[in-house]
Amino acid sequence: MYLALDSHEQEIANAAAAFLRAEFPLARLHARRDDDARLAEFSTLGWFGLAVAEERGGSGLGVIEQMLFFLELGRVAGPFGVLPQALALQVAADEPELLRALLAGEENVALLVERDGSGARGLGGDNCRYALELTAGESTLFRLAREQCDDVPCLDRSVVMFKTPASALQTVARVTGDGLWLRAQVCVSAMLLGAAASALDMITGYAKERETFGRPIGAYQAVRHPCADMAVRVESARCQLYYAAAALAAGHDDAALQVAAARLVAQHAARANTDANIQLHGGIGVTDEFSAHLLLKRANLLWRLFGSGRDRARTLLQVDDLDGAGS
Amino acid sequence: MDLHYSEQELQFRARARQWLQDNIPRQPRPVGGEAMAQFDRDWQRRLFEHGWAGINWPEEYGGLGLSAIQQVIWYEECARAGAPHFINTTYVALMHAGPTIIACGTPQQKQFHLPRILSGESLWCQGFSEPNAGSDLASLKTTGAVDGDDLVINGTKTWTTDGQHADFQELLVRTTPGSERHRGLTWVICDMRAPGITVQPIRTMLGDEHVNTTFYDDVRIPLANVVGEIGGGWRTAMSTLGFERGTGFIGEQLALYERVNQAIKLAGRTRLEGGGLAIDDSDFAARLALIKADTLAIRAMTLAQISELREGDNPGPKGSMMKLMVTGTAKALSHLVADMLGWEFLEYNDNRNEHPLTYDYLWSWVYTIAGGTSEIQREIIADQMLELPRAR
Repeated sequence: MYLALDSHEQEIANAAAAFLRAEFPLARLHARRDDDARLAEFSTLGWFGLAVAEERGGSGLGVIEQMLFFLELGRVAGPFGVLPQALALQVAADEPELLRALLAGEENVALLVERDGSGARGLGGDNCRYALELTAGESTLFRLAREQCDDVPCLDRSVVMFKTPASALQTVARVTGDGLWLRAQVCVSAMLLGAAASALDMITGYAKERETFGRPIGAYQAVRHPCADMAVRVESARCQLYYAAAALAAGHDDAALQVAAARLVAQHAARANTDANIQLHGGIGVTDEFSAHLLLKRANLLWRLFGSGRDRARTLLQVDDLDGAGS
Repeated sequence: MDLHYSEQELQFRARARQWLQDNIPRQPRPVGGEAMAQFDRDWQRRLFEHGWAGINWPEEYGGLGLSAIQQVIWYEECARAGAPHFINTTYVALMHAGPTIIACGTPQQKQFHLPRILSGESLWCQGFSEPNAGSDLASLKTTGAVDGDDLVINGTKTWTTDGQHADFQELLVRTTPGSERHRGLTWVICDMRAPGITVQPIRTMLGDEHVNTTFYDDVRIPLANVVGEIGGGWRTAMSTLGFERGTGFIGEQLALYERVNQAIKLAGRTRLEGGGLAIDDSDFAARLALIKADTLAIRAMTLAQISELREGDNPGPKGSMMKLMVTGTAKALSHLVADMLGWEFLEYNDNRNEHPLTYDYLWSWVYTIAGGTSEIQREIIADQMLELPRAR
């Protein structure tokens, strides 16, 4: 039993952090919005294919490494398109040519977030000629006629949102089962945790420098104590996310339960921390030029993804033995 | 990361599970008085006689020398079996006094006290807080004057949990006249039967008398009872506080999981005013789901803390995070249960066995105050982890 990163896992996390902080720092979002055009940069270092088998062109790693990467992506509110692109690889596993193009970043994938008979709502720019839909029971990859879609504005301005008629979607590949769904929940939880952790870093940095009434604001308990609570949320979400990813990787019976808990705790941390970060900054916190709102807006997008609170409550409110702790 | 238990750990779990199943008392723990203390002594003696005493003590001193993971397994199995709660009148002896004597005591002190603690023969209480020194412990004023081979103690301690049942007390006093703060303090073993000690119960809002104020009027304690150095009492005391916030809390963390499962079962059979089951109410379900998720996270924090801490490290701010999580989640849980029960919640006669859920609700404030208030825990995190400018 070892619930901490081993040296190999730490290396992956460090490499992801170094790449993302250098190439996609949070502050980039003030200057230009070209995340969609830069997705191929993730393919050169193999980030899309972390969890794809080596014989299919990936790195042959698992959900733990993916979780570590998406945690770092979440810290910088990194390009959202990386998420559907990485997940789509698991659906396209038996389509060699498509798999190659996705791994290379030559084709990009939008994420469908709601769909009915008449059409769907999706997230992804003009560059997306495919769209991914995940549900608890099956995952579907569509060919997307992006030119038939209408863009709608999105609170998170780094993401393009669109509406598509049903006729613009043609099924390309489908997998059944909840494996990809749980993996997606881990990735989103990691991005939520990244936002929560980034908010904590932002306010603690500011609290050491900004002075009011002749003292740094970090010396006031009205600021210190909410910061401590933010740190507790980050720590609890981190530990539960590690556990959930490891339980999923090991195929434990309680993996769905652990993943639902990780998602809920990370979501709560992202909500509360991105909120407190703005409030504790005071006036500067609500300005466009400052980065606090970028984390709040990204967190708003993330916590709407992949299922309702009701579904998660249902999973969590079963009375079960924990795997390993049970009989 | 690796969630795999070794063969040895699995065997340990099976052995613990079987023993607990065969040995846990069938009678409930009495709610107070000498009968309650005797129940705790009997259970400790049973653990001792069957080789289960000293879960967190080194083998050299009669403990089991278990790995941290085995300790987690033991406490998980205790919670699962509904074994007597380990926070009882033996707690201070096993979790504070014993480990302090192991860390700082003389060979004579070890030889006399440690076996008696393990067997449940001697119960201990703590004498740290004073009426004017709680969160700010270093402002304590109770004095110990050296007189020949004795210390002569005068002053008042308070929040002395189970002081009326204790045989000994870990007592922290000011032995250097005029000294300030952490300097000039001494940690000494006080025999609670010594002349000049008066223990006066404090009735709490729970309706029980588990805490006391202790008065010292020229109480003579042999200098041989000093643990650590005279004037070095703060260092001696800190060796237990670090311990308390480290592995000493594991059992509490894991017991929460069982409590949440009980609450889920309760929600599945409790009807709200409108006639529907509480578990089908979206508000209750959402609150309960978050509590369950937090409880799983607490278990993960426990395992991560064990994996990340090295031998001998002070858990420091991570322990404070744990205390905030555990006490905050326990409070949310007992308040949710109170809301769910409606009018039935108000039926309370000060007897924790007859009305455990109302008792838990009232206890939730004891939890967030005792052992370092939530506010003090946040200060520790702000200072030691976030390295924010000092407030004090």
